Amino acid sequence: MDGAHDLGGKQGFGPIDVECDFVAFHEPWQARGWAITRSTFRADWTIDWWRHVRELIDPLDYLSRHYFDSWLQLQTAALIDSGALTLEEAVSGRAAGPAPDAEPMAPKAVAAIAGSAATFDRPIDSAPAFQPGDAVITRRMGAKGHCRLPAYARGRAGRIHAYHGAHIFADDSAKGIERADHIYSVVFEAGALWPEAADRRDRVFLDLWEPYLEQA
Amino acid sequence: MTSFNSEKIAEIHRELHSKLPSDAALRVKALEGLLVEKGMIESATIDAWIEHYTEEIGPKRGAHVVARSWLDAAFRDRLMSDAPSALDELGYLGHATGHLKAVENSPEVHNLVVCTLCSCYPFGILGMAPNWYKTAAYRSRAVRDPRGVLAEFGVTIGDEVEVRVWDSTAELRYLVVPQRPAGTDGWDEAALTALVTRNSMIGTDRDLKPDVSGGPA
Repeated sequence: MDGAHDLGGKQGFGPIDVECDFVAFHEPWQARGWAITRSTFRADWTIDWWRHVRELIDPLDYLSRHYFDSWLQLQTAALIDSGALTLEEAVSGRAAGPAPDAEPMAPKAVAAIAGSAATFDRPIDSAPAFQPGDAVITRRMGAKGHCRLPAYARGRAGRIHAYHGAHIFADDSAKGIERADHIYSVVFEAGALWPEAADRRDRVFLDLWEPYLEQA
Repeated sequence: MTSFNSEKIAEIHRELHSKLPSDAALRVKALEGLLVEKGMIESATIDAWIEHYTEEIGPKRGAHVVARSWLDAAFRDRLMSDAPSALDELGYLGHATGHLKAVENSPEVHNLVVCTLCSCYPFGILGMAPNWYKTAAYRSRAVRDPRGVLAEFGVTIGDEVEVRVWDSTAELRYLVVPQRPAGTDGWDEAALTALVTRNSMIGTDRDLKPDVSGGPA
């Protein structure tokens, strides 16, 4: 979707607040809100659905609220959508009854969950359409739902940098459909993306699924 | 059942916006209380997550990986060809590292990592992302004006150096391997690990400084 989340290349956000102190969390509510999201991810959700729910936050809220606040908002909305909570419960803060399928994560399960790495590569029957070095052009159109081809890199000429096999395709996964497609790192000259960068040697690499690409 | 319906979610967002207090701390407190009452979470589990990401998981893991790669050529080769298995050797596999790629800086190349679409980050080896990494300013500018961004971090990149920006648009994640600084011959793994800054592994720091870390003379 062409939402406020698609920030690459947008202008006007000003300088970066480059605080260099390292603390994992600046405020207790940020830590607890984040940990709630880590503890209530539902079995039938996908990471791409979860990201899409965040993209669907009102654009003014998305851009103005704290990062962890947007996670809190997305988690609350997604739990309501899945029937784990009702809107009335979320608004009142009082439970109308116990959750029917509650299986709370145990404190001692945290270390093992934190120490496991999800993988998204899957077998695929077809051969990849492109090889490293091939010239490609990215799709011009975005998509109505979740899409991981940023606006700044649409309709642009690039080159296949690397092939990574087939990964679960985010656009479908956000609809609850697990389907794998070929995925590549695609390299773009900065001058192919930005008018003011024509003379620079800099390059931008994106990881893009085959449906986002056409032969140049 | 989850709807996977964008319009339904947008409507829920609007309802929540109009009916919940604007103070995020109040909303977190209310949500935690509600989820405990419904039997969906235990507060001790919330504490355990925070403790784990405060005490156990953080950028010192990534720094150790970088230092090991400087000292052990075979480990460096495994890190470059199959980073998850290299992490696994050190017991560092974790959230968002299953498709990690290591990218090395050199005198000719500087690497910078961003996620323009959300805030993807290799949490399992770098811990919680710094605030600036999640800001609209960084996400919008890193792909378009990387040298200007780096200058704000105090990093000047010569015209002869190519900047490679990695936008984490899928499930691959990137770890920048900074160059080992001169003057560190004979340093052990712990001393080298202490040199590696979090920002250098994202790419907003470049020249590591042996003189300020208190390494062996």
